[in-house]
Amino acid sequence: MLIENMRMAFSAIRANKMRSFLTMLGIIIGIGSVISIVSIGDTMRSMFEELYRKIGITQAYIAIGYWVDEWRESDYFSLDEMERIKEIFGDEIAYIDSDASTSGDAVCARTTVRFSYTGVDYNYQEVQPVNMVYGRFLNQGDVLGRRKNVVMDTVSAMNLFGVENAVGESFRATIYGSVDDYTVVGVYRKDLNPFQAMMLGANTEGGEAFVPYTLLTWPNDRFYDIRIFARDEATMDVFFDNLKSYVARSKGRQPEDFRLVTAKAQMGEMDSIMGGLATAVGSIAAISLLVGGIGIMNIMLVSVTERTREIGIRKSLGARTKDIMVQFLTESAILSACGGLLGVLLGGGIVMMGGRMLGVQAIVKPGVVLLAVGFSAMVGIFFGMYPASKAAKKDPIEALRYE
Amino acid sequence: MGFWNRGRTEDLGGGWPQRKVEARENGAGKLWDMWRKSLKKALKFPEYITENVSEELIRLEDLVKVYDTGALKVLGLKRINLTIHRGEFVAIMGQSGSGKSTLMNILGCLDRPSMGHYYLDGVDVAAMNPDELSLIRNRKIGFVFQSFNLISRTSALKNVELPMTYAKRNKRFREQRARVLLERVGLGKRAEHMPNELSGGQRQRVAIARALANEPPLLLADEPTGNLDTAASVEIMELFSQLHKEGTTVVVVTHEEEIAAFTERIIRFRDGEIVSDKPNVPREPEPCGGEGFGASEEGEAIGDTDSDRQKALGDRLC
Repeated sequence: MLIENMRMAFSAIRANKMRSFLTMLGIIIGIGSVISIVSIGDTMRSMFEELYRKIGITQAYIAIGYWVDEWRESDYFSLDEMERIKEIFGDEIAYIDSDASTSGDAVCARTTVRFSYTGVDYNYQEVQPVNMVYGRFLNQGDVLGRRKNVVMDTVSAMNLFGVENAVGESFRATIYGSVDDYTVVGVYRKDLNPFQAMMLGANTEGGEAFVPYTLLTWPNDRFYDIRIFARDEATMDVFFDNLKSYVARSKGRQPEDFRLVTAKAQMGEMDSIMGGLATAVGSIAAISLLVGGIGIMNIMLVSVTERTREIGIRKSLGARTKDIMVQFLTESAILSACGGLLGVLLGGGIVMMGGRMLGVQAIVKPGVVLLAVGFSAMVGIFFGMYPASKAAKKDPIEALRYE
Repeated sequence: MGFWNRGRTEDLGGGWPQRKVEARENGAGKLWDMWRKSLKKALKFPEYITENVSEELIRLEDLVKVYDTGALKVLGLKRINLTIHRGEFVAIMGQSGSGKSTLMNILGCLDRPSMGHYYLDGVDVAAMNPDELSLIRNRKIGFVFQSFNLISRTSALKNVELPMTYAKRNKRFREQRARVLLERVGLGKRAEHMPNELSGGQRQRVAIARALANEPPLLLADEPTGNLDTAASVEIMELFSQLHKEGTTVVVVTHEEEIAAFTERIIRFRDGEIVSDKPNVPREPEPCGGEGFGASEEGEAIGDTDSDRQKALGDRLC
């Protein structure tokens, strides 16, 4: 019976192709926009998550709070303090450095390139992927011996030396006002997708290089903040809290005077912003579903009037109120679900195409698709209820007499 | 019987193969049983609907129909008493406004009388609710209308299947029977055609096939030839005669004497009352077609000799 009803519904929809399509349009647009918005949201979230994975989800910074009125000399960190932290929290720290960076001109022969330098420890590769292609990364000797060795990426090497493999080349760099000769010991390749390049800043003209962090502690071996990578993602929150308390105590401050910035918290914030945005825009888009539903109700009412005679015939052949009701409900549900399906294709297609153009992997969750089609069928049933009951209540004699 | 009942076997001894005993102890099995029972109950119609019980197919007792148009009450039918026996071929005649259409609607269970009783096959349908009337229409009455009333955009076959669909017959049964019926009315080759691809006479024959779908005891035809030319009218009436000879009760409402001449009993109406009720000697079918109906082009397509075909179809139909 149900299959019979569905067959009848499809034949009725096919009989008025144009009208059915126009009726579906509201649902198509509604579902299409909801699907695309939700999918864009999901895609953005996953891209941000990937981004944070890239920069390290276990990463955190600790520094004196900007809200603290008077900063003391002791609020800054020294290398000795960092060593002490390493000793105390050794097991829980995967990596720690002074988060030092600076920039300055680098000169090789007649080429001058603006370089930015990041101070890192020798084991930086353990927490961040650095895809070495030539030479080696900085080693312990470089760091402890404050050797003027650098590791740069292929683009920077191209910019400065005109070749990718710049291992062994040296250049003159100005760091904190002092001019020195630096030697390239390794070259790595950055692999970023377009979105990450946009968010992290793509380097096309200038240069970037890793230097031993011990070189960038000017002045007085003091620095503003420390960067830590926790070893265990599960327990890192407690660890960071403990660390903050320890740092504050050792500097004679309250824990709340120090600022702890974790990548995870930032990501969570971003996530909730994106989620909230998607929900807000999605629910506005869902209003168009309401409009689509009303369109379906309208056309079903027309259809019921047009097919009054058919209803009469069916009743005379033994159709009960319920049978007629179910027939018309099936029709509006199918009409609406078809619209939903087309909407999913439309929305999904737009998102996929956009993703391809931007070079990112668009995400259309199957759950969302199911929900959308199911919801549109519900819309069809809800808005089909009134026309269907109107059809079912028709008096067979009147209906048969209808021209 | 479902994977949840798999399992227990019983040794019957004596070298008999082990027989599977359906384990019903578990909850799922019980649930399944309940579901099947309720399904059976839902599918099973009351006996008064499925069984033919009474020799008097139609009995009207003091039947009154009042039309209440608000300010005015119009008496459509004034105390009608009428009995039609199983197997009769009756014409109800009268001018328009004589009350014959009103009677037709009540006989067809499309309308309910204001007063009095209407026993259809021994059951008083006067007090039934609309859904019960639907069931009665489905099982007891086959309608043939003046304007054919086939469902458009639906093949002849599907049209014939429709009453069986509402009777919850399964698909195979429906299709087989619909084909047999279409062949029976000489449209075996037109089963897949849409109504708008058929001539008026052919459409009416599809409608007759549809009316016969659930083997109703009563065939009710409302001006069945009103939209047909003379040749097609004769064809249709001869088909009715044939059906009558095979035992179907046929009631034809008409205002044409020529049509009424085919029947065996003519009841005349005027102003909501029966003015005459006389037996009629039916006009002999014209000898051209041999077996009466099916003499048209579709008829010859059916292989065997006519009499064989008749016999075979009759067996299948009854």
